[in-house]
Amino acid sequence: MTQYMQDPALWGLIAGTPLAAAVIYRGRKSAARLRKENAELAARHAELESTLSESVEDARIRAEDATKTALKSAMRTLQGLANEQQLAISKVQEKYGDQQILQDLLDIDHMNSQFGRRAQSVAVLCDGWLGRQRAVASLYDVARSAKGRVRHYTRVEIRSQTSFAVAPRAVEPVALVLAELLDNATSYSAPETAIDINIRTVPKGVCVIIDDAGVGMNEEEKSRAARLLSGDHPVGVTELGNPPQFGFAVIGVLAARYGFTVSVDSASPYGGVRAVVLLPQELLTSMPEPETPAVPERTAAAEERPAPTTTAGGLPKRRRRGQMAIVPQSRTESESAAGRTSEETASIMGAFQRGTQSGRKTDPSREGFEVQ
Amino acid sequence: MTTPQEPDRDDIETLESGELVRPYVIINGRGFSDGNRFDLVTLVTASADSEQRWGQLDPEMRGVVDLCDGGYLSVAEIAGHLGLPIGIVKVLLVDLAEQGYILTRAPIPPAQLADIKVLQEVLDGLQARFG
Repeated sequence: MTQYMQDPALWGLIAGTPLAAAVIYRGRKSAARLRKENAELAARHAELESTLSESVEDARIRAEDATKTALKSAMRTLQGLANEQQLAISKVQEKYGDQQILQDLLDIDHMNSQFGRRAQSVAVLCDGWLGRQRAVASLYDVARSAKGRVRHYTRVEIRSQTSFAVAPRAVEPVALVLAELLDNATSYSAPETAIDINIRTVPKGVCVIIDDAGVGMNEEEKSRAARLLSGDHPVGVTELGNPPQFGFAVIGVLAARYGFTVSVDSASPYGGVRAVVLLPQELLTSMPEPETPAVPERTAAAEERPAPTTTAGGLPKRRRRGQMAIVPQSRTESESAAGRTSEETASIMGAFQRGTQSGRKTDPSREGFEVQ
Repeated sequence: MTTPQEPDRDDIETLESGELVRPYVIINGRGFSDGNRFDLVTLVTASADSEQRWGQLDPEMRGVVDLCDGGYLSVAEIAGHLGLPIGIVKVLLVDLAEQGYILTRAPIPPAQLADIKVLQEVLDGLQARFG
């Protein structure tokens, strides 16, 4: 034992142990303090960071809102002007209906429709409204209306007619959505190729299918389109890119707002994109007179008259009544023609006169036809 | 982004709208041919079998066939009834005539309408009464 006592190493150990313990203890303490400080700093940093991103987000939303408000009111003016211009063009078309100028008027009408559509699209992105009241219209007419709003409308062929009609509130949004899809289809396919529209009934409603023979979309484009079309992540005016791509963003907003779905993820039989618009039953209705929607725009006026025999458009309809007025079939038949009652003759001549007058007049009153 | 459910009635003025389907869409961009044989008073009637096979026609064309079904109608009358510009109706008529849905007949010159026999009878009657 004494030999150990005399060993300086033991004494060194005895003296060194508390010293080392004290050093270790102090080290641990300072490490803990540093850790604590570090954590506090990190928390502070995160706090600052979130405050910063919050205020940046706030500023972005404010800027977005201000942009939207300004654009919305500007677009409302433009929409109003486009509508006014359309009515003016209609009047001039009636006035010069039989002259060479009509061709030019039709071109101007077409340009005005495209202009109106652009204004509507921007308005929709700014939470604005489409600004047009419509009556019930057949899906075929809605598709034709959409067709008229794109530049290369003659390339669009509507393959199927249907008895389905679109409820008044959905007429304009569905027409605008179809027009945006057709715009994409015509823009991304060769000028000589046709765009097909097919209408199909499915258990959930009616599908409008648009097939183009374009280049199609890659996976990245498809996923971007799907994101925009879902309407879950509304796109701000400031995120449209340069040059701005309105189409899918507008469609997404309208689809979410009116409750229908649009998908572009399948390929068309012609190698391009197949766009499918699924309209649920809630947006569909049947035409007031389902047999033949001859002139659907004027069906409302027709309902006011208890007409016995009218066309689907509500116009007086002539049934075969033996020898028909105005033109004697031949010399020998002129006697039998004389057998008409004066009332009949008067009504026939009256109809002829009204027809020629309204055909020539500047502003023919459309309700002016009486039931014979 | 807010998603308004209904238009704010005070916020939006109800804009008067033109027709849903514009005339240039109805004729699908077809031009007006110069040698158009239709004028305002050309008479048009539906051909006998037109109603059996009109399923694939556009609503406006069906409207024309439907209107003419009862006999002869002038081009001006058809335009008046359909509320379309005359030029548009003429394009539709050219198409319908080509596809055999309608038949046309040139207007009868006024002089031909007068039957000599009737005129003679009137003259005789007047002479008998007042002569």
